[in-house]
Amino acid sequence: MPVPTFLSRPDLPPLPEKAQPVQAVATLSPIKWLGVSGGLGTLAFLTFAACLGFGTEAISFPRVAALLAQGPFAEGAMQNAPHYIILWQVRVPRVLLAFMVGGSLAAVGASLQALLRNPLADPYVIGISSGAALGAAVAVLFGIGLSVLGLSILPFYAFLGALLALLIVYRIAVSYGSFSIHTLLLGGVVLNAIFSALILFLTTLADPYKASGMYAWLMGSLTGPDFATVLVLAVYLLLGVAVLVSQASALNLLTLGEEAARSLGVEVERVKRVLFAASALLTGSVVAFSGLIGFVGLIVPHAVRLVFGADHRLLLIASGMVGGIFLMLADTLARTLLSPTEIPVGVVTALAGGPVFLYLLVRQRRRIVA
Amino acid sequence: MSQRQETPSSPPLKLAGVTFGFGRREAAVQSPVLKNVSLTIAAGEVLGILGPNGSGKSTLLKILMRILAPQLGTVEWFGQPHDAFSQSGISRRVAFVPQETQQAFPFTISEMVLMGRYPHHTRTWGLGWESPQDRAVAMRAMDDLGVSHLGTRLITNVSGGERQRAVIARALAQEPEVLLLDEPTAFLDLHHQLEIARIIRRLNRERGLTVVLVSHDLNLASQYCDRLLLLREGEIVTVGTPQDVIAGESLERVYGCPVLVDQHPQSGRPRVTLPV
Repeated sequence: MPVPTFLSRPDLPPLPEKAQPVQAVATLSPIKWLGVSGGLGTLAFLTFAACLGFGTEAISFPRVAALLAQGPFAEGAMQNAPHYIILWQVRVPRVLLAFMVGGSLAAVGASLQALLRNPLADPYVIGISSGAALGAAVAVLFGIGLSVLGLSILPFYAFLGALLALLIVYRIAVSYGSFSIHTLLLGGVVLNAIFSALILFLTTLADPYKASGMYAWLMGSLTGPDFATVLVLAVYLLLGVAVLVSQASALNLLTLGEEAARSLGVEVERVKRVLFAASALLTGSVVAFSGLIGFVGLIVPHAVRLVFGADHRLLLIASGMVGGIFLMLADTLARTLLSPTEIPVGVVTALAGGPVFLYLLVRQRRRIVA
Repeated sequence: MSQRQETPSSPPLKLAGVTFGFGRREAAVQSPVLKNVSLTIAAGEVLGILGPNGSGKSTLLKILMRILAPQLGTVEWFGQPHDAFSQSGISRRVAFVPQETQQAFPFTISEMVLMGRYPHHTRTWGLGWESPQDRAVAMRAMDDLGVSHLGTRLITNVSGGERQRAVIARALAQEPEVLLLDEPTAFLDLHHQLEIARIIRRLNRERGLTVVLVSHDLNLASQYCDRLLLLREGEIVTVGTPQDVIAGESLERVYGCPVLVDQHPQSGRPRVTLPV
């Protein structure tokens, strides 16, 4: 290796020994990373504990803390206490599911935004989620091999659907120059329309009982998961998020465009394949378990970017935490507002996120639309 | 890896018989964007690539960076075939400044410049924290381009000239031996055009950086380049000193309009104006 040109020149000023103050303020350091992720992690746990108290049957917070301390495998009288059962068998899995689903959607949103070079991309808005839903609907309605080795095959079909949608969207984005939000949104609208039509068509073929369950699921719902389901999902989601985080530096460079990223040393094709697979895995598993929940992937990374900056090494983690917190709160609202009736959580997120999206679209038109 | 050894006399970049077109191979070879281009770029020179719209200037630059791969012909970097280099291996030695530097994501200028250190990180997985050396090199690149004071500003909120300087600083943070620039002064006003041109020449003279730039601006290229290359419809018309290339009849032939060529009052380099 030859010595790099700049370092070998004796007449250049010596390299500064310490980072300049301007850099310390303006770039991400491991300390800031730890501080923010730790802080948001703590906040997520507190939100989790707080959400457990709410529901048709209110449980006071000291009682929640006491019951949580018993652990999931309490013996004796405690095992049959109504509050213990409600907490451990109903609310813990559900709030955990909300956290995981929200976090994954936000992380996927952040990575899709970098991949498509568009800060308004969202797996729901651009049609990835409905692709996954179509995949899952095919599996459910045709009852294709519903489980293999005890694992539901549903997420696999949802993964395939999400991947298909993602490839179509990406193709649309690059063919028109990926900066145009209009193209992406129009593509998303059309994809959503096609996939929804196919899902409706399939649903009419199904028996009415299956069909009504289908509709409830499509609106986005976190109802009634058991612990086993949540654990299986956790494996998929942790894997997907870990892969996205591992590509954080490459995601930073991809926001510059494929050509610039390649010239800076990113193996663009390999990184894209990895990101497509991880994003489709996350979207597919989330949709298979909880249906269509929109806008989390849009508003959460957007807000996080405003506060903590655009570096994906922190953005992905922080969006994951904030997305989890957001959906835990949204779901708590959904199940308590009209209690004992539940509002589908997808309705809550759409009503919260849709207007924000419209606002961003209007306010940022000059910056985003080229 | 190739058996050939890099020698001090190996030219940084060399193209031989390069033909490139978009689309399928047969169609690409039949109606190519670049036809049979051969070119050797010497260490330490400033080469300007000129030509009308659609003559293949940017395509040529992208082939030099391996962003595009030619269907026919060979590309060599430092005396070795270009596929002997890994993506980050080449990015440590050749840097590219794209024409379009529009950014939609709110990175700070400091973060933007630090991205130039990516090819120096050997691991491609993980969070890849910058070392003190990475930060020092990026800081010096920012000083060189005069953007240190903008370190905390967002790339989405600075002027076109400031953004262009930040992007060149990012390229310098790669510590390259060769700098490729695609229309570095397009969309800039006179003041910023002059500033960028002077910075590029200073980097070349003081650091021995080899520079290849694509430009629409014949006069700027004439002033600041050691050698010029004139392209028409994907073929090289002439290569040579500004005096050789900026000559009335070859320009008129290539651009298809009458031009007046006289001398710059200060430098004596050829100067192009349009007749009334």
